[in-house]
Amino acid sequence: MNHFVKGNPDLCIGCRTCLISCVIAHEGKRIFEIDPDGFDFNPKLHMVKTKKISVPVQCKHCEDPACMAACPNGCITIKDHAVSLDTSKCIGCKSCMEACPFGAIDMVTVMGEKNSDGSERIIANKCDLCAKVPGGPACVRTCPTDALCLVEEEDMEAKIENRRKEAARSLDTTKEF
Amino acid sequence: MAIKEVQTTCAYCASGCQIGMVVDTDRNQILEAKALDGRTNRGKLCLKGYYGWDYLNDPQILTKRIQKPMIRKNGKNSRLEEVEWDEAIRFVAEHLNKIKEQYGPDAIMGTASARGPGNEAGYLMQKFMRACVGTNNIDHCARVCHAASVVGCQASIGEGAMSLGVPEIEDASVIFNIGYNAATSHPIVAARIVKAKQKGCKIICIDPRVTETARIADVHLQLKGGTNLALTNAIAHVIIEENLIDQEFIANNTKNFEEYKKVIETYTPEYSADICGVDADDIKKAARIYANSRHSVILWGMGITQFRQGVSVVESCCNLAMMTGNFGRRSTGVGPVRGQNNVQGTCDMGDLPNQYPGYQNVTDPEVRKKFEEAWGVKLSDQIGVQLTRVPELVLKEKDPNKQIHAYYIFGEDPIQSDPHGQEIRQAIASVDFVIVQDCFHNRTSAYADVILPSTAWGEHEGVYTSCDRGFQRVRKCIEPTGDVKTDCEIICLVSTAMGYPMSYEKTEDIWNEMIDLCPKFTGATYEKMDLYGGVQWPCYSKDLSDKGTPYLHKGGKFAHPDGKGVFIGVDYEEVYEKEGEEYPFSLSTVREVGHYSVRTMTGNCRMLRSLEDEPGWVEVNVEDCKELNLKKGELVWVTSKRGHCMTRCLPTERVAKGSIYMTYQWWIGACNELTIGQLDMQSKTPEYKYCACRIEKIEDQEWAKKYVDANYKAIRMEMGIDIRKKEG
Repeated sequence: MNHFVKGNPDLCIGCRTCLISCVIAHEGKRIFEIDPDGFDFNPKLHMVKTKKISVPVQCKHCEDPACMAACPNGCITIKDHAVSLDTSKCIGCKSCMEACPFGAIDMVTVMGEKNSDGSERIIANKCDLCAKVPGGPACVRTCPTDALCLVEEEDMEAKIENRRKEAARSLDTTKEF
Repeated sequence: MAIKEVQTTCAYCASGCQIGMVVDTDRNQILEAKALDGRTNRGKLCLKGYYGWDYLNDPQILTKRIQKPMIRKNGKNSRLEEVEWDEAIRFVAEHLNKIKEQYGPDAIMGTASARGPGNEAGYLMQKFMRACVGTNNIDHCARVCHAASVVGCQASIGEGAMSLGVPEIEDASVIFNIGYNAATSHPIVAARIVKAKQKGCKIICIDPRVTETARIADVHLQLKGGTNLALTNAIAHVIIEENLIDQEFIANNTKNFEEYKKVIETYTPEYSADICGVDADDIKKAARIYANSRHSVILWGMGITQFRQGVSVVESCCNLAMMTGNFGRRSTGVGPVRGQNNVQGTCDMGDLPNQYPGYQNVTDPEVRKKFEEAWGVKLSDQIGVQLTRVPELVLKEKDPNKQIHAYYIFGEDPIQSDPHGQEIRQAIASVDFVIVQDCFHNRTSAYADVILPSTAWGEHEGVYTSCDRGFQRVRKCIEPTGDVKTDCEIICLVSTAMGYPMSYEKTEDIWNEMIDLCPKFTGATYEKMDLYGGVQWPCYSKDLSDKGTPYLHKGGKFAHPDGKGVFIGVDYEEVYEKEGEEYPFSLSTVREVGHYSVRTMTGNCRMLRSLEDEPGWVEVNVEDCKELNLKKGELVWVTSKRGHCMTRCLPTERVAKGSIYMTYQWWIGACNELTIGQLDMQSKTPEYKYCACRIEKIEDQEWAKKYVDANYKAIRMEMGIDIRKKEG
């Protein structure tokens, strides 16, 4: 089963530390020593604020991803419990963005890269669970209120088991558990 | 590569987070900031803590580090020229001495800085103004934020600081959160509020916006801006009416309750519900929740202090805590949560026109004698000028002997931070001699006759006071570049050149002089700060067993000579400037979480700038947006009687119809062009939270975008950034 990062709106304070740590995790710490206009600032998660909710939204790493089915170029695959996007092959067709039911994919320009006609290269952008980052998803590690967690298979199993127990309790009239 | 890790205290809000700065000493380069297990932050940091050190790299995004002293040799109209330190110091000393001779010491005004410099520099600045210049005209930016908390709490309970510590918030049973948006002003305090909620704490949120705290509140009283006092009086009314008071506590520990009750009589929930635009039943509900707990905590921010009745609302909050006996135990009391990293400290150090360090009154002859003996000079017995009165004393005062003729602005940027932009510009431009001492060029430095370049946070040693009275060490991480000096050294050089010699080898020597003059701080030695990670004042004894005071007023003994808290009842009054036909919206100024103060630091941090940049946002109710035909991101004009500025529209359901909100960090979307300079009469804090405005749609958005770009470029050039070199 794929893993995913889940936000908890009861804990989130909307501060967006996660958005920045996402960028640094993917651009590298060199970002602090280069031209201030010389990097891409494209977080792979998005802060959503409605009247009553604040929480970051990112890829759910679906088991049968609509984005993967929609991609005409085979850029999207499932690898190491994550839906992975090979940006080198991305042609910017937006099919994955259209297909994603959660709005978790956006299109971004890539600094310094051009299409064959000289126009700016635009590619899909999505959460990769910090696949190449030691310590796992940066957003989870830096959140000041622990509002984000990485959900792995074992967590899901434990949760389901607890829910079943709860369901069983509700059926029991003696309430002696 | 030689790597070291330096433990220090965060440069931003007053949460007092402990950070481990990882430094490559070969390259004198910070590599990253790690969250350490501090008393308040427990291994957590927010975006400013993690990524807000980048300004030390001087990336020249908004402004530029000052590398060399500068003076205008031939008067106001000549250009600022780089000079050697000797010449700059001599220039300052000669001008200040001349003004002092001609108009007297009270013609000179000084500020201290609540930001990077630290307590030692704050102590020296007030000592310089008092002992060398000979005036109590020393103030700092607490005046424009929490001065009402200091004045109000001192009058009610005797101590103008948070009575509880940050960690205690988490164990409260009830949090009464009024005019305080922790999520943007103190994310690490917000983490405690969130945690408290998880542990079962009930939250009452009083705020005209749906803030992050309002979102998780059990009762959200979304009152109309400027009606705080009507609401808190009504809550008191319910508590008294329903006999939810702690009679024993009131009888033993307080005075003036009966007189106070008479004032409160009028404020039935129904009466105030009409004024505040909330449901009377919700007022009752909030009152019952608050009063029925022995661990109720009140937290507030500028949502109560930046109003004309700021002091009265602060006193009103103290009344609620006193009448329910919510003082003197863990997780009780009142929390005026100070905003800037060292604004509590700058008050502690006596950078106030009425108090010496340690909250000792300048009008008390015995106290004055003590300081006169320690400093070896006669001191003024007159309370000095509050900095918000500078425009009046420059522009309106006709008697030259009562005017301000020199302004020593140390680590502040009044042109950006003070209300009524046009007036403050005119005032500062009219001061005969302006000294700016700062690490960055800022909007005020353009008006300076002298610029004295100082080190920044990360380049010097010192102590900050966190919002909950916690003294913590700040340590040097890297070597400064350029011909800069520490603030302490600069102040000593100026003072010595003016004829009052000061010199100290290290910050600890300054600290030791200070603590010996302040009974409340005497025990807070560097040794203890190193040993225990920090010391919360009061700490009276140097004995290692005195570790300070986590919460104040133990056993209900208040910090007045008779130990009794004072009930102070005041009637509600309307705001100064109400909305009307021409200006139909009420504007309140608020905060952007990733930016800080006047933005010279965070505006020069790559990540924080990338998250939010000019010209900022104006939050507008979605229905108002529909009526004005405005979309998200559209550039608009916002105009008041006093000025206008351009910003982007943010439609949101979180603000009420008819009210708009802007953050004061932006230089283009500068909301202080609009704000009103009217003050709370007791604390002299401006009413930043309410003035009348209108929003105007701009049809030609392409033109508006160009206007913003051109202005940003012009600002950067004015701030000394070589744009061509940067872009070339």
